[in-house]
Amino acid sequence: MHKEKIYAYICILLISLLPAVANAKDKTTGEENLIADNAALFGGVAVSADFVGFSMKLLDSKFANMEVAGRLNFLEKYFPIVELGIGDCTKTGSENDNTLSVTSPYFRVGMDYNFNRKMNGNRLFGGVRYGYSSYNYDFHIDELRDIYYGTIETLDLNDLNGKNQWLELVVGVETKLWSIVRLGWSLRYKYKIKQKASEYGAPWFVPGFGKNGTTTFGGTVNLTFDIGKSARKSMK
Amino acid sequence: MVLSIAALIGCDEIDCTLYNTVFMRSTFYSDGSQISLTDTLTVGTGREARILLNRMTGASDLTLPLSHWQEVDTLVLTVSGENYLVEDTLWITKTNTPYFESPDCPTNVFHYITSVNSTHTFIDSVSILEPHVNYAQGENLRIHLYSAD
Repeated sequence: MHKEKIYAYICILLISLLPAVANAKDKTTGEENLIADNAALFGGVAVSADFVGFSMKLLDSKFANMEVAGRLNFLEKYFPIVELGIGDCTKTGSENDNTLSVTSPYFRVGMDYNFNRKMNGNRLFGGVRYGYSSYNYDFHIDELRDIYYGTIETLDLNDLNGKNQWLELVVGVETKLWSIVRLGWSLRYKYKIKQKASEYGAPWFVPGFGKNGTTTFGGTVNLTFDIGKSARKSMK
Repeated sequence: MVLSIAALIGCDEIDCTLYNTVFMRSTFYSDGSQISLTDTLTVGTGREARILLNRMTGASDLTLPLSHWQEVDTLVLTVSGENYLVEDTLWITKTNTPYFESPDCPTNVFHYITSVNSTHTFIDSVSILEPHVNYAQGENLRIHLYSAD
């Protein structure tokens, strides 16, 4: 837990510096171009990976959403996006040895809108996502005590199936680091719209969604490779 | 804003259901009205002779635990007064389903009552009102007693 907190704080410090980096770049580029005057109808394709999930996995966190994304660029304003990932969680109770295990894929589709009217390498996004995951999970119950009838059982409930659908509201920023390489972050408010879980109980963690509940927050730190027309144009 | 984000990510709270006990709730009825027993009531488990309720007076509403895994629970209700002692036995047939929330939370077993049979010393009949025995603790059984006449 302490490693996760330290990592989270480092991430927050780093990503909070992004606007400053972006402003510095604005000053150096001097004259700015308006999107309305210069953007092509189709601005290219971008692929990205999220640092947070992979880092949490490397730091042996109890859960992680490891994902990559592909997105299109229309008019430098509209960015349809598909995010694919694998959610992984192994959590043992803090006061017992009950254990939840889940490793399953998920996807999200949606669109971002760039509120920055200038073509200066920076983007300020607002967007929505629809997320879906069909997952299998195991729950190990270490000691189920019946104190009234004097029994103790150990149970392994395996291959339980669940399905979740949810919506996400996204805000984020992104800036060009070098050539076609961009760095950005997003914050997400997630709202569960449907859940189908086993009669034995729903999992504590849902792949792609995070901690199970009606709502939760999430975030990404993305390294993006912006390829295509807009990338070539901004390289000139 | 950064502080808010840090607070959100840094929190690691445990959310467990507050009312996480599973009991079967029964009420006593006679002549169509809910009554309180004026005598002393003791409830045991039959063959294992575990006492689930010991010498309760004025009982009108019982909350009793069911076994985690037995298909049929036997409950022996003993009513005693100054010079007498009478017994009736309930056989509660049920299915048992383990239920979990989070590894941090207690695991429990929910039940579904499929039938109830009884002897008839002072119990006239038993009706199942809510077959699901879970955290909701609704009125599961209504035990109809013979009238005092």
